[in-house]
Amino acid sequence: MRRAASAGPRVALVVCALVVLWLLACAVAPGLVAPGDPLAIHPLQGFEPPSLAHWFGTDESGRDVFTRVVHGAGPSLLIGVAATAIGIVLGVALGTLAGLGPRWLDFGTSRLLEVLFAFPGLLLALLFIVIYGPGITTSTVAVGLATAPGYARIVRSQMLAVRGAPYIEAEVVLGRPPLWRFRRSILPNVAGTLFVLVTLGVGQSIVWASSLSYLGLGAKPPTAEWGAMLSAGRTYIDSAWWLTFFPGLVIVASAAAATVLGRTIQGRVRGS
Amino acid sequence: MTLGPGTEVEAALESAASTRRSGRGAVRWLSTRLAGLLFVLWAAATLTFFAIRLIPGDPAQAILGGPGSQASAAALAQARAEYGLDQPLILQYLGQLGRYVTGDFGTSYSLHESVVQAIGQQLGGTLVLAVASLAVAWVLALAVAVFSVRAGRAAWAVGNGLEIVSAAVPHFWLATVLILLFSSTLGWLPAINVPGPVGLVLPVVTLAVPLAGFLGQVMRESLLNALHSPFVLSARARGESEVGVLVRHALRHAALPAISLSGWAFGSLVSGAVVVETIFARPGIGRTLLRAVQERDVPLVSGIVLVVALAYCLVTVASEVLDRVADPRLAESPR
Amino acid sequence: MPVRPVIRSTIIAFATAGALALSLAACTPQSSTGAGSSDSPVRGGTLTYASGDAEPTCLDPHVGGNYPQALVATQYLEELVSKNTKGQIIPWLATKWTESKDGLSWDFTLRDGVKFTDGTPLDAAAVKANVAHIQDPATGSSTGYLALGKVASTEIVSPRVIRFTLSQPDSALLESLTQPWLAIESPAALKRSKDVNCAHPVGTGPFIVKQWKKQDSITLVRNAGYTSPPADAAHHGPAYLSKIVWRFIPDSATRYAALKAGEVDVIDNAQPDTIVAAHKTKSLTELNAPRPGASNRIELNSGKAPFNDEKVREAFIRAADVNDGIKTLFFGTAKRSYSALSSVEPLGYSEPGLFGYEPKKANELLDAAGYTTRDADGYRTKDGTRLTVVFPVSTNQSIPAEQSLFEQIQATTKKVGFDVKLEPMDLSSWYAALAKNDYDAVSAPYTKVGPDVLRILYDSASITPAPSGYFANLAQVDIPSLDATLEKAAQVSDVAERSALYETAQKTILEGYYILPLYDQQNHYLLRNDVVGLRALPSVSTPLFYDTWLDR
Repeated sequence: MRRAASAGPRVALVVCALVVLWLLACAVAPGLVAPGDPLAIHPLQGFEPPSLAHWFGTDESGRDVFTRVVHGAGPSLLIGVAATAIGIVLGVALGTLAGLGPRWLDFGTSRLLEVLFAFPGLLLALLFIVIYGPGITTSTVAVGLATAPGYARIVRSQMLAVRGAPYIEAEVVLGRPPLWRFRRSILPNVAGTLFVLVTLGVGQSIVWASSLSYLGLGAKPPTAEWGAMLSAGRTYIDSAWWLTFFPGLVIVASAAAATVLGRTIQGRVRGS
Repeated sequence: MTLGPGTEVEAALESAASTRRSGRGAVRWLSTRLAGLLFVLWAAATLTFFAIRLIPGDPAQAILGGPGSQASAAALAQARAEYGLDQPLILQYLGQLGRYVTGDFGTSYSLHESVVQAIGQQLGGTLVLAVASLAVAWVLALAVAVFSVRAGRAAWAVGNGLEIVSAAVPHFWLATVLILLFSSTLGWLPAINVPGPVGLVLPVVTLAVPLAGFLGQVMRESLLNALHSPFVLSARARGESEVGVLVRHALRHAALPAISLSGWAFGSLVSGAVVVETIFARPGIGRTLLRAVQERDVPLVSGIVLVVALAYCLVTVASEVLDRVADPRLAESPR
Repeated sequence: MPVRPVIRSTIIAFATAGALALSLAACTPQSSTGAGSSDSPVRGGTLTYASGDAEPTCLDPHVGGNYPQALVATQYLEELVSKNTKGQIIPWLATKWTESKDGLSWDFTLRDGVKFTDGTPLDAAAVKANVAHIQDPATGSSTGYLALGKVASTEIVSPRVIRFTLSQPDSALLESLTQPWLAIESPAALKRSKDVNCAHPVGTGPFIVKQWKKQDSITLVRNAGYTSPPADAAHHGPAYLSKIVWRFIPDSATRYAALKAGEVDVIDNAQPDTIVAAHKTKSLTELNAPRPGASNRIELNSGKAPFNDEKVREAFIRAADVNDGIKTLFFGTAKRSYSALSSVEPLGYSEPGLFGYEPKKANELLDAAGYTTRDADGYRTKDGTRLTVVFPVSTNQSIPAEQSLFEQIQATTKKVGFDVKLEPMDLSSWYAALAKNDYDAVSAPYTKVGPDVLRILYDSASITPAPSGYFANLAQVDIPSLDATLEKAAQVSDVAERSALYETAQKTILEGYYILPLYDQQNHYLLRNDVVGLRALPSVSTPLFYDTWLDR
């Protein structure tokens, strides 16, 4: 990765940073970027192609696609961030139990993780959503649950590696209590890796949530959410390309930008 | 699990590495693996059994022609008795485990045939799709990796960009665009499953491109490391050709993470197959699974989960074996 | 994956006198599709049909009984009687029928020399076995079972005459018998196990089920010994096509792409924008065959608050702007309905004046109903309770355009203070929500021949759930006088009297603001224009490929 960072042009990094900044602006203050109402319908002005009045065109109900894309940044990124957060928290909990706990606990947790790995991720999400009903919250939790085992494995191996490190052994000799060691020494060491995982996971979570929307299991209408917009617009792909092009573009752009930033930071962390 | 590259990829690499490190005897390794496999199957069956019962909707209704059926009370009672749904949950659970042990996977409510038969009919399509996609993804990823490490800074950036974008493309969107372009507009390729390999092209590309993005990121990294490692330098010093170095040493090294990732990739492909098989109207277990969940077809969902879990375990074991065989560190510097 | 309703009940009305039907029984060709109809038909060839409906779980429509089964079963199974475009009952497997004076006994005379494709002859014993099969709880028939609800027993009068004895006069019996869910199958085949019969049902139709590859296709081959076309068919003898490949392509974009590329010849469940696109494409044509029975409409649950108050129901209907949405979303392929019944039902009654978009009036009605305050989000409240409308939407049954229309209704009714909660869900969850009375509004299509569908949908008895939790009266209309009117209409055979009774009933339903009609149940087929002679059977609008040939 050191090489990647130095070989990759800085321009890409700047572009990615700008994309992320723009997305954050959209998420925090959508009204400033696009002052319109994302839910305002104009039934007789549906399916209008991109124009000066409607940069990204209008959708089947005459809603402005640009406004919806901007206002959709909040819920869409929230899904990405929250799903990743759920995955990370569960992952850290399980990984810590396995990595720091006694041997039998490690054995049990590891087997549990193996089971979760073998269970098709989409099925887990599907079952969860069928049980609790579709919506942003459920699809977020579903994606979070589906990602947790992956994080747990990484955290576990990190914990094992750190636990065996000489300075921790020194602390054991000094008689520091386990919780103190965990908080002051182990967690900070693992935190770097976790941060990178978050940036990488956010993009992937958005992509997965959009697939759930395609299966009719995502955000409830009329919420402006990218995955839901993409799957709704798909029906009209033959007659109105802009309904899928623009939401698709922001999904790819945000996932890609988050990945690039994550990789860069990863490179820095490893490099230092 | 089947999600992002940052998580499972690294996790899979970690687990593969730890296997390599452990270096236990082959027999003991295999027996541990077998026990682990049985445990995983049991847990998957248990998890599915109880999760499915939380779903709203009456299985007896699913048996009698699906939701909204106007089945009489007598018919419902008869179906419950016939399928043992009137027994306490724990007895149903034990009964099911018992039947699994004897190889009886029950009868699908919605397909009116045995679960073994139903899965048997569908598994082939998904396996062909998954294997072809994995192969194409490997080739794509390798090609981009080789191109980008050999052709300078600009190529590196292009390769990097290609991988990142392709890894961030949702399957259903890619499939739609491919159909619009190659089927609707150009008319070169069929949008639906037709006999022969031509019907496989679009679905395989749809599954392979995002996967190639993930694999490529990992492969490029290890290829680069390999090209700068001592054994490649010494091979060059011995006067081996650049192509020879690449093929004999570097690629072998770069293939390692890809092999380790195959278990993860397989899981990802099964999840992707749900979407891809629906869009391209292909028979397969992904589409069957979606339908089985929607129709509350308990025996079929359980059967598919077991098959996928088993396949995942087998692929993982196979990749670990391959890993032990192919690891150049084992081959070139025997411990 | 638009999947049309799973429940289709069957008791039919509009039974014209048998004698009248007989006199008109000689071939009346249907308007059918295709360009070169002056050419002589080409024999042979394989036609590929792509269905967007769910793949049936059983190919025998006696089991369960839904529309996907009816679609495919029309090719290999046949009914006792059929219906022509004028709405008259015409002979099919039965050549004539007589009703006793008290209406409690019907004799059907069967066509001579018809054999099932397994060689079993069609006789009175075969019909008796079919009625018994449908009425046997073990079969799990819902649609056919309901349709035969008044049939108490059957009796073999002679090898070619079967007698139905009824518990009550049933003016809907003949129309019931036109439906594919009451098709006549080989009695020998019915004796096989349910699983075998589901995979390979045996009938008298122009095609035979050869192979069923699950999740992929059903292969149908020509029945070379076919002798029994319905009275309105365009030709005699075996079908022209030698084979039909019946595929399942759930994704609408893929289905249309496959049709455009010529990989399939006919598709169903065509989306509105592709219908318009197809009109501009030389190689494609459309066959529009709205389904009979009820119109597509939103039912307002009058069984609980807030819609137990007629003022609130009217306010909702007045606040919903439907027409502009239909215009844009359906690209002119769907016509607004103001009736509880499909436009193909001659006894349908429309009242456009009740459904105008009048937000001002809606506001006044809500004020009068006590929803005088508004909360921070702009929704009306009464005694601290928000004016919430829970609206479960079946993503299997409502096509994307319809779901968008619901979103627009959500947006326009919000202006007067309704909080409509659209809850998309799969079919099983949707039925579960209805069974739990967890809804205030719902759209539930219902196919059934004749105005007697009103009795299924709006009789107070239909509020009581079946053991499975299912009930048809989703508006929970509970009016004793309406029950009496519908009950009487189902028994009288005088045309003028029936017509008057059904008009009274429909007025009661419309004027009580129980439903918001939208349009007919859409049923658009798109086909390559070298597919000649395809028509939809007037009974439940399923396509019949008997007269179809390929001009290539």
